[in-house]
Amino acid sequence: MTDLIQTLGAGLLIGCVYGLLGLGIVIIFRASEAFNFAIGEFLVIGSFFFYIFFFDLGLPFLVALPLGLLASGAAGALIERLSIKPLLGRSGLSMTIITLGLASVLRASVQLIFGAHSYSFFIELPDITLESGYLLFPSERIWAGVLSVVAFGLVIFFLFRTRWGVAIRATSESQPKAMAFGIDARFILLLVWAVSSMCIAVAGIMISNFGALSYLTGIAGLRAIPVVLIGGMDSIGGALIGGLIVGLCEALVGSYIEPLGLVGFKDVAPYLLLLIVLFIRPYGLFGTARIERV
Amino acid sequence: MLSVENLRVVYHDVISILNGVSLKAAAGQISVLIGANGAGKTTLLRSIGGMLDIYEGDIIEGDIKIGEASVRGLDSTDIIKKFGLTYVMEDRPVFWYLTIEENLAAAAYSRWDGAVKTDMEKVFEYFPVLKKLRNQKAGYTSGGEQQMLAIGMSLMTRPKILLFDEPSLGLAPMITEELFRIIKRLNQEGMTILLVEQNAHAALRIGHHGYVLENGRVVLEGTAGALLENEDVREFYLGAGAKERKSYQDAKRYKRRKRWL
Repeated sequence: MTDLIQTLGAGLLIGCVYGLLGLGIVIIFRASEAFNFAIGEFLVIGSFFFYIFFFDLGLPFLVALPLGLLASGAAGALIERLSIKPLLGRSGLSMTIITLGLASVLRASVQLIFGAHSYSFFIELPDITLESGYLLFPSERIWAGVLSVVAFGLVIFFLFRTRWGVAIRATSESQPKAMAFGIDARFILLLVWAVSSMCIAVAGIMISNFGALSYLTGIAGLRAIPVVLIGGMDSIGGALIGGLIVGLCEALVGSYIEPLGLVGFKDVAPYLLLLIVLFIRPYGLFGTARIERV
Repeated sequence: MLSVENLRVVYHDVISILNGVSLKAAAGQISVLIGANGAGKTTLLRSIGGMLDIYEGDIIEGDIKIGEASVRGLDSTDIIKKFGLTYVMEDRPVFWYLTIEENLAAAAYSRWDGAVKTDMEKVFEYFPVLKKLRNQKAGYTSGGEQQMLAIGMSLMTRPKILLFDEPSLGLAPMITEELFRIIKRLNQEGMTILLVEQNAHAALRIGHHGYVLENGRVVLEGTAGALLENEDVREFYLGAGAKERKSYQDAKRYKRRKRWL
């Protein structure tokens, strides 16, 4: 029983981080119908920005985190300006393909600048390890879950309670309509990419904090694919639910199926689950079935 | 005063839609633009409203002026902010997944003054039905309510000139009448209006001046009253005047007859 609780708890905590990754994908998809395949690289870049401020410059966590996120946001905005903006008004597919190329370029650039070795990454945060009997939730895992949920909440607040949020949701629905009413769709797209990179950066910092940071940490970003496809590509709540589902799936498979001799099955299981979900609900659990009218 | 001078517009560099359109929308008046499908009415409004870019259209000749200033090539955001000209697109350009109130707030995005709330109340005064539905998602409201919302949203941008693209599209005659009353009222309160309509009769009745657009050219213009009386307009746009059924050939002959204009 404690085993199960331990597994579920761990799954939910990592699930929150996955949910945040999913959110990063979803808000871009809603705004421009593009899937950001460069998510892993955004994750690494965001983590390295934080690394520079926190470890290299030795700033306190509460200063380094906002600075790191601002830098990630700026980087996201810059990347959008250079690669995505020229495609405004084109189909989401062309932007999606751009992000594939972007992923290669960014990965190589990170490798060039920071090298291929791992950077040790440990943030000294107040120890909030939960331990009772056989249950053990390490401090960094709990922090990851908590900070991800806080970040998620902040993004939701931004989207639903601020003027930019309303403009982002309006633009996501229709760029022409938004522009006709004086909303600068180009700026909004920039904003969306900035916010998305910040989400991904928070998740990245938390994931790096579990171990080390290298250009390969970006592989964790791929977890966002089953997350958003299960939750629904255009559903913000779906991203969180999808994240939790993937987190739970991973944890359950990790502690109950892998010991049977299926090592590495934990990484495959979310995709199997995804397959089943897509058979039943092709648009994901919370995605809207779209009627395409041309 | 809005004036369009010899405007030529192409899409994708090859499809020529406007072939030298000139017209004027006098300040404080309702100017009506009628024409068949494909005549270029919407393209003309897009050009004026600064929305050609996203439809891959280009102005290759001519000019658009508001007062003395040229707005050719400007973005819709600049045109709204600097010139107070707002283009209400056809087919009820509201945001379905936003509530009525959020829709109005979104349309006020370009403004930074604190009067957004008062303006919203003003819109609710024009359209009391919207006030009741303020927390409803716009996608769940009726077509008439959506069109009212679209007009309300355009008012949130504090316009001096409004371009309406077929506000009566797909609406019941009674709703259309109400919308036209509102448009008339906006005009009486000082708004300059350019109204594109298929419902030529209703539009010409509230309008001051009218233009007939065909194949990307203005083929006829005059006071709204004169156009209502004009034999060709009556025959081809108002569906009156003809005793017997007209065949398509006759329609083509009419076009040939007008080509010199």
